[in-house]
Amino acid sequence: MSLGAPAALWGLLAIPFLVLLYLLRVRRREHPVSSILLWQRSAPTLAAYRPARRIERSLLLLLQILAAAAVVVALARPTAIVRGVEGGDLILVLDLSLSMRARDVAPTRFDRARDEALDLISHLRPGRRAGIVAAGPTPQVVLPLTGDHATLVAALRALEPWDAAGDLGGAVLAAGELPLSRGGRIVVWTDAAREGLPAVPHATYRIVGTSADNVAITAFRIARDPGGAEALLRLDNFDDRARRVPLDVSHDRVTVYRDTVDVPGGGSRTVVFPVAGTGEFRARITTHDAVPEDDVASAVLDPAPLPAVLLVGEGNPYLERLLRVLPVARAAATRSLDPAAWGSYGVVILDRVAPGPVPPGNYLLIASVPPNLPVSAAGEVRGPEFRTWDRTDPVLQFVDLSSVRVSRALALTADGGRVLAGGDAPLLWAFEGGGTRALLLAFALQDSDLPERVAFPVLLANSLAWLGGGPIEIGAGERLEIPAGAASAAELVDPAGRRGTVRAIDGAFLLPALTRAGVYHLRTEAGARAITVRPAARPAGRIKPGVAPAPSGAGGQGPEARGPLLSQVPLWPWCVLGAVAAVATEWAIATRRRGGDA
Amino acid sequence: MAPSTGAGPEAGRRLLAPEFLQKLETLSLLSRKRFRGAQRGDRRSLARGRGLEFDDYRAYQLGDDYRYIDWNVVSRLDRFFVKMFSEEEDLDVSLMVDTSRSMAAGRPSKLLLAAQLAAAIGYIGLTNLDRVGVTAFASTTASRLDRLRSRARAVDLLEFLDRLEPSGETHLGLAMRRHLATSRRRGLLVLLSDLFDPRGYEPALLLCRHHRVQTFLIHVLAEEEVSPRIAGDLRLVDAETQQAVDVTVDAEAVRAYAAARDAFFHGIERFCFRHGIDYLRTSTAVPVETLVLRWLRQGGLLQ
Repeated sequence: MSLGAPAALWGLLAIPFLVLLYLLRVRRREHPVSSILLWQRSAPTLAAYRPARRIERSLLLLLQILAAAAVVVALARPTAIVRGVEGGDLILVLDLSLSMRARDVAPTRFDRARDEALDLISHLRPGRRAGIVAAGPTPQVVLPLTGDHATLVAALRALEPWDAAGDLGGAVLAAGELPLSRGGRIVVWTDAAREGLPAVPHATYRIVGTSADNVAITAFRIARDPGGAEALLRLDNFDDRARRVPLDVSHDRVTVYRDTVDVPGGGSRTVVFPVAGTGEFRARITTHDAVPEDDVASAVLDPAPLPAVLLVGEGNPYLERLLRVLPVARAAATRSLDPAAWGSYGVVILDRVAPGPVPPGNYLLIASVPPNLPVSAAGEVRGPEFRTWDRTDPVLQFVDLSSVRVSRALALTADGGRVLAGGDAPLLWAFEGGGTRALLLAFALQDSDLPERVAFPVLLANSLAWLGGGPIEIGAGERLEIPAGAASAAELVDPAGRRGTVRAIDGAFLLPALTRAGVYHLRTEAGARAITVRPAARPAGRIKPGVAPAPSGAGGQGPEARGPLLSQVPLWPWCVLGAVAAVATEWAIATRRRGGDA
Repeated sequence: MAPSTGAGPEAGRRLLAPEFLQKLETLSLLSRKRFRGAQRGDRRSLARGRGLEFDDYRAYQLGDDYRYIDWNVVSRLDRFFVKMFSEEEDLDVSLMVDTSRSMAAGRPSKLLLAAQLAAAIGYIGLTNLDRVGVTAFASTTASRLDRLRSRARAVDLLEFLDRLEPSGETHLGLAMRRHLATSRRRGLLVLLSDLFDPRGYEPALLLCRHHRVQTFLIHVLAEEEVSPRIAGDLRLVDAETQQAVDVTVDAEAVRAYAAARDAFFHGIERFCFRHGIDYLRTSTAVPVETLVLRWLRQGGLLQ
């Protein structure tokens, strides 16, 4: 048993005063009697006059002492230490940060935490509910409060750490928002390696991990430059001692760069080196540290950052010339308006044609208005001007339309989508939905001087990138939605080679959270797209365990943070109950006695 | 204490019911001793003379009334003997009623019960041509009703008793000394008191013994004095002296009180037995009719 406020026990000194007051108590009711003669004569044998005897015999005094003692002990906030977690509902918060993959605790920090959580679930008494909150990059309530142990166990077993830093504070706060029953507890498993933990009431932190030994690849990128391609790789040493780290970079299983990098304790080193070829490059360091997962990183140098393009129309020298220059996967031209031939292209450019309804896909529409899009053309406008355009939109990034002159354009009326540029009339309109991405330029290139402007190639490159997408690079855990075009399903291959199927919903692939750093491949009939999940950023590689916030604001971490999972059962309600019972008993006895002597 | 004024003609009726008074007329006071009376009455006295009840013979002496010579004896013995008769004289009955403040206790009050008893005894005496006097006493003051004789004075007796009010402290010795100092004849003294005198009841009773007064002590108590029905931490305040005593009345205290009470009662009983004093203890819970018609007859005061 422990006391939350042992200083309150000084209040026990009040009990002798209580006895003294009892002895000296002068609150006697005056009662007239005909004569006190017999009372005086009974005095020599009257035990009630002797204080010691009165104390000995006074049940009321005993009850008062008991009540006072119970109140004082309650103020001292006594708690009983019991194994497990007592109380009402239970919220299990597991840190899914990269640092939880550390193997300084066998088998890993996360596995140890999950085993404890499973053990806790297995000892839940019937009727107690539990819920699970995952502290990934975005906190997520994995399972609301439920009493179904099988569901809880299954949900726990499905959890895996991510190659990113988790938002543990947000997860704990989210757990605190759940409607816990009276006496409910939040148990958090984490290594507290990065951030201060919020001191949430009823939260118990379980700190796992012992080591800070980790050297990680925190950045690996390859970019083209005029002379070819160059790779940038950064190493971070999160331990205090300096490390000498062998580095090996391979391409198609052939080492293209090898080095030994000296990384100071707590410091970092950046290595820049030229690479040749395109495709996936893999970097690996040999460290034998606690987290081998962050010793490997991948980067992709795509040979064609822009998609395959099909130009449909009577021919457009401006476009044809530009497509030969832009890094598109491939480019072709046709006069056929048959959508069946469009499926293998990432983007279809419809130039001054009158198409029928277009199937889901990515379209750059130049003075062409398909009937199944929420836009219509009613005649022409003469001499429209670009007065405003959305410079923040990816399509218009670095595009200056201020001096572009247009002699005539379609008079567009938009029922949806968004107008990106225009004046009195929309001149550039974008739409996204139903598996279709479309950009509509309201005028033919020949009716303007746009092809002669610097904005033209930039606008076209931006448009193709937005429509068909280039190489995708995201952080672990970021949500990704990719237009599905005409495809109904795609195959997703993770960095470890595991394959999964992603169904298109409303014309888009909503990818599951990509938790592992490396290169994923999304394959459809139209081709494959590489999705690079960046290595965990520098904060995620810090694995040195922190400390749990002190309970009740006292210094030091709570006793439950390490070692066997114990919980403190507050005993003060029982003390208060005892005090109330003692007072009630005293009251009952006092009032039962005729005349009462309370 | 002093009798209050303004008692109406109904005073006697308030004190004793007329039906009860009728019952009393059949009773008479019984004196274990024979006293010399002042006037002829219905009671044998030590004085031998003109009574009807034969007492003894004695030799004729000069000056004796010829009418009392028993000629039958003369004829047989040839000597003159005169018959002696017990002279039937009245009984001097003194009623001493304690009117101290402690007598106000009880329901009905001890004073009322004492007054009723005194009224009953006095009425019986008056109907039997006894001389009846009443002294109401406390410590400092005493009022007295002159000795009454004949039933016609019963109204005065009842009115006097009806007007008694409790006041003052009990001082039995002083009251008895004053009473005996003014009494010219020995007779029957009926003392009605709760005997709660801090100085003790013994001096007063010993004074009676010294004056050879036949004393009948009626100890009047309230029911709450016999069995207190109080509890808790109390400051008991004496109704007469205003003295206080702090008592925690619990079962132990009640037992101690009972022990002191019993010792008090036994002490009175032993004292009265030793000194030939008739003693009757009663409480306000006993009706006056029962006391008079049953217990005073059994106690030898009435017949």
